[in-house]
Amino acid sequence: MPSIPRIVVVLALVLLPAPVVRADDPLLERDVLPVLTKQCLGCHGGLRQKGGLDLRTIPAMLKGGESGPAVKSRDAGASEMWKRIESDEMPPNDKKLTAVEKAAIKGWIAAGMPTVAQRQKDADPLLAAGKKHDPKEVAATIDAHLGKSLTVAKLKPAGRSDDTEFLRRVYLDLTGRVPTAEQAVAFLDSKDADKRAKLIDALLATPQYGEQFGRTWRDWICPPELPSDPNSGKQPNTEAQNLGKWLGTRFAAGDPWDAIARDVITVEGDIRSKPQVIFFALSGEGGKATPAGSARATAALFMGVQLQCAECHDDPYRAWSQKEHWALAAFFAKTTGDFGKVSEARGGKPEVTIPKSAFLNAGNSVSAAFLGGKTTAVKGDALRPALAEWLTAKDNPYFARAFANRLWFYFFARGIVNPVDDFRELNPPSHPGLMKLLANEFADAGFDVKHLVRCVCNSEAYQRTSRVAPGADEPTVSALTANFGWMPLRVMTADVLLDSLKLAYGDPKLDLRAIDPKDGNASGESAPVAEPYLEFLRRFGTNKEDATDFTHGIPQMLSMINHPRLLAGSKALDAKLKAKPAPDADAVVEWLYLSTLSRRPTASEKAAADRYLNKATDPAKGYNGVLWMLVNRTEYLLVR
Amino acid sequence: MSQPLLHRRDVLKLSAAGLLSGVSVPWFESLASAAPALKKPRGKSCILLWMDGGPSQQHTFDPKPSGEFKSAKTAVPGIQIVEQLPQLAQCMDDMVLLRSMKTEINDHYDAKYYLHTGYKRASAFEHPAVGCIASSQLGLPNDDLPAFVTIDAGSDKVNGGRFYRSVPAYLGPQHAPLAVHDPYKGLENLKESGTDLVDRLELLGSGEAQFATEYPLPAVGAKQAAFDRAVRLMRSKRAKAFDLDQEPKKVREEYGAHKFGQSCLMARRLVEAGVSFVEVFHRGWDDHEGAAKRIAARAPWMDAGMSALIRDLKQRGMLDDTLVVWMGEFGRSPGDGGGHYCNAWSTAWAGGGLKTGQVIGKTSETGKNAGGTVTERPISAPDYIATLCLALGIDTHQEFTAAGNRPMPLVDKTAKPITEILK
Repeated sequence: MPSIPRIVVVLALVLLPAPVVRADDPLLERDVLPVLTKQCLGCHGGLRQKGGLDLRTIPAMLKGGESGPAVKSRDAGASEMWKRIESDEMPPNDKKLTAVEKAAIKGWIAAGMPTVAQRQKDADPLLAAGKKHDPKEVAATIDAHLGKSLTVAKLKPAGRSDDTEFLRRVYLDLTGRVPTAEQAVAFLDSKDADKRAKLIDALLATPQYGEQFGRTWRDWICPPELPSDPNSGKQPNTEAQNLGKWLGTRFAAGDPWDAIARDVITVEGDIRSKPQVIFFALSGEGGKATPAGSARATAALFMGVQLQCAECHDDPYRAWSQKEHWALAAFFAKTTGDFGKVSEARGGKPEVTIPKSAFLNAGNSVSAAFLGGKTTAVKGDALRPALAEWLTAKDNPYFARAFANRLWFYFFARGIVNPVDDFRELNPPSHPGLMKLLANEFADAGFDVKHLVRCVCNSEAYQRTSRVAPGADEPTVSALTANFGWMPLRVMTADVLLDSLKLAYGDPKLDLRAIDPKDGNASGESAPVAEPYLEFLRRFGTNKEDATDFTHGIPQMLSMINHPRLLAGSKALDAKLKAKPAPDADAVVEWLYLSTLSRRPTASEKAAADRYLNKATDPAKGYNGVLWMLVNRTEYLLVR
Repeated sequence: MSQPLLHRRDVLKLSAAGLLSGVSVPWFESLASAAPALKKPRGKSCILLWMDGGPSQQHTFDPKPSGEFKSAKTAVPGIQIVEQLPQLAQCMDDMVLLRSMKTEINDHYDAKYYLHTGYKRASAFEHPAVGCIASSQLGLPNDDLPAFVTIDAGSDKVNGGRFYRSVPAYLGPQHAPLAVHDPYKGLENLKESGTDLVDRLELLGSGEAQFATEYPLPAVGAKQAAFDRAVRLMRSKRAKAFDLDQEPKKVREEYGAHKFGQSCLMARRLVEAGVSFVEVFHRGWDDHEGAAKRIAARAPWMDAGMSALIRDLKQRGMLDDTLVVWMGEFGRSPGDGGGHYCNAWSTAWAGGGLKTGQVIGKTSETGKNAGGTVTERPISAPDYIATLCLALGIDTHQEFTAAGNRPMPLVDKTAKPITEILK
């Protein structure tokens, strides 16, 4: 029985609204300018400068107005602007600053008026760029970055995971399924001091690593609902799965990310030999490639930049202008693509005409230009190759950091920049030095994905426990999350859950649908129930933006509790039982725990299983019940 | 900008709170004392009868003098429907016919999407289906019975494009429908498998409590609360709503010996048990070879099932609070009904506290293409969704946030609801 204080902790964790936790000081662009824009710049900005005061820039604030300088760096109490805001003298109307807004202004002045631009420029990666480093050296540097921010935030990071936590986590993350009992035992019983690093290397050499990374990228590329034929509703599910398999083969082979990206962006030909053809149709409209859709997807996936608003107008919140968006789209102006093939028209000018669907500047022509760079005259017909060459260059400002941030997000359920595809000045990285380090290392290693995975997985940060320290309250846990000071619990994705269940049940064709396949409802486009794999993905799909969000409800739980297949025994277990000499009950229970939770049972778990098995009418049924219990455990469905 | 009462996060947090009782008392015992049936302060309920593939209006609720089916009088003077639906004709006092649907899309899948969501299908993100909207607005969070259930009433033809599955999108997965694949078999996975569930729950319970103390985190609470709800549902008296054998033989016969009628009966049982939205779908109405022969065969069971539903709801005093809507994704081309037709078609509504016994909108009566054009009060897909929401007491001005921080109004702002039928 838990003690009362524990319950109070649970209550606090669960019911209090999450406070805004910042890992760092307020920054001008991100935290202060929005408040000034809303509350102050109407009278002290571009239109009017009442009292001779302009608050749009730091020099203007320092110059001040009739009452002298508006701010004094690191001294809010001596800053005229803060004094008038604090006393609610300003703004003079009814709308005063909220407590949060006031705190941002005060904190910003007190911190010496830091800006995003300056901070990013100054960020120190702590490891010299220009060469590939040993993964363990990079891992230690990752920890140095996080250690600094944890110290500043006065946070004590969670301790090291125990071997069972690490084992299960790294198998799920790198191979997309739990280890088998035999694999678990081999690791847990090994006395090798370097066994964690060796396991990471071993898993990166399996085809399952490629499969897992391939389907993860497939899910990032594919929209929630695949484009379909408007009448029949047919969706390119097979083609999407083939894309995942293609990516998986490339990841498994160790192909560098720039080569993979180039092969996607410049593809021409037939989908039967080049599955990446589907990228263009997926990102377009109604299954056809469009310049705007291709630009949007390329920017989001390969550059970490959101362009969708700039399609129709200058984006009010982001730096991109409508013209910049269409200049990128112009690289795809000659591309035609559907679910069958992608081809490129030759000749003509490298430009695109803004379509009528954009409500500003429709009909204007825009020439191809690289995002954020100078207009570059692209010659000849090689539009997409030119874009790919610019994008994958070692010094491209977007390419390496976008991948590194996504990889980080994959492991920690949170990017260094969040959302992962929204890099911009007003949304800076929480750890700019770390971001620089990972991007540098990735580029210097020739965009070697496995190398970057090694760097991250060997860090203490990745190997911390998911257990919450006794007494930790929700603000502490939130702050630890923001500072990567513990490993959040994540929910198994549908693919990972299905492959893990297949292993536990020794059934590669595991089918958890609750229909009779003979009743005619199980096949054809108009059927309400899809084939087993797709149906499982639909049912057990998880929140792609937040892996810590447990979204399963009654339908999923009913499947787990009552689907007859999950109580009908396991072929893997049958094989175990037939072994000579026959294993005793303790050994079988231990094997079942290892096959599902990747650990041995505790003494009390053993005793509980014993009690249950003694009641069972026959031993096989008893073991099936234990297996059912294990896959229904919360511990089973989560990645800890 | 108004927001839904409870955000998805809050709901999860509330459900996670359910974990507390589970941790402080032996976990499985709290399951056994299933929560008493909640008398929920809810708005109205809705039963959507979806004729997948697109039913012909001229062979049902908007007959024409030149048409293949003859008109017949109904209980309301001046309103006529086809003679193949005599029992529904007697229910006309409790019905409203909307004969001027004009909905732009003639393709099956896109039209199903449009008429279920009120929005045209886009490539970047999905819109929530009307049943999911009702679940989010009318359902009680963490009720042991989900607020939205779909029932497959079978098909008589494999045609009509891919089946549209209701998706809650940005409303949150707890508003996804619970699916009944066969009304005769009840809800999938509701029945205990094996004979020793109590023993297995006990075995599970001890480990679960231990894990929750080691990892007192929202995901753990959410999982245990969801599991809790599922077990509560299995043991709830209200789950008997999925069991048609509980119903007297006479009532079952009245609804007709067809999956459609039996689905209507289950829909009534579910609404009675507190479900906010039930969608019954029957597939195969894509009658390219002509609608007359097909609908002549379907009319008896459709007439029996739908009219029995209306009568039964009325008899139980539930009709004013239960809106029944019959429709497909579009109508059929005038004349033989061989083609898709979104330009002028009908939906039939009943109950729901509407001003019933009337017809809204008109289509052309005579001429070469009789019935081919709307001549009065065209009803767009957003108009239709807005009216449905308002009839259920849902505030249509709410705004939600879709992917990419896109603000999405509950109903498209162009909607002009049919206020003539709302009280």
